[in-house]
Amino acid sequence: MKNRVKIQRAIKDLTQESLANEIGVSRQTINSIEKNRYIPSTILALKISKVFDKNVNEIFELEEED
Amino acid sequence: MNKIQQDLRLLPGHFKKVAFGIMLLSALLVVLYILKVLTIDKEIVETIAKSGFLISLLLLVITRNKIEDELTLRIRLKAFTASFIYGVVIVIVEPFINLLFGDSFLSDKGVTELLINMFFFYFIMMFLMKKNR
Repeated sequence: MKNRVKIQRAIKDLTQESLANEIGVSRQTINSIEKNRYIPSTILALKISKVFDKNVNEIFELEEED
Repeated sequence: MNKIQQDLRLLPGHFKKVAFGIMLLSALLVVLYILKVLTIDKEIVETIAKSGFLISLLLLVITRNKIEDELTLRIRLKAFTASFIYGVVIVIVEPFINLLFGDSFLSDKGVTELLINMFFFYFIMMFLMKKNR
């Protein structure tokens, strides 16, 4: 699953730390999501999309192998 | 704290201090025994120290971290699984190693030592997985 968290974060001018604080996770978790090492739960994905005012589908997208 | 974290029922962060306190007391008991300040039976000292050490390690394992999110929880569960598998493998492999190399190579240490080994394996796994997350 690919995601556009890093791009959206840049658009909103948010640091990993501030995004992490806003949704109540560690900075490392945001880093892992951005680097595709960790796929977040539905709750976390919804929280992230809420911060960016987008639908979940606009942030997270399924790939061929998913 | 979300639903998943509530399900795991981890202890609040201040239990880490309690754990270190118990560990310190256990170590103090052993030191006092070695210095012959205490004149209790060796087996009693050993039993109390081992139990104290085990309780403190268990408390450290089941206490919440500063930031406990779903990735930390996943790492925690992976480390639990890994240490459980490690324990089972040790129990299975140990007799064969002893058979091949003699009892001195890996002596049959007992449950307390196995549990302490498993706890240390858990901490190592947690450290490595947290570092590489």
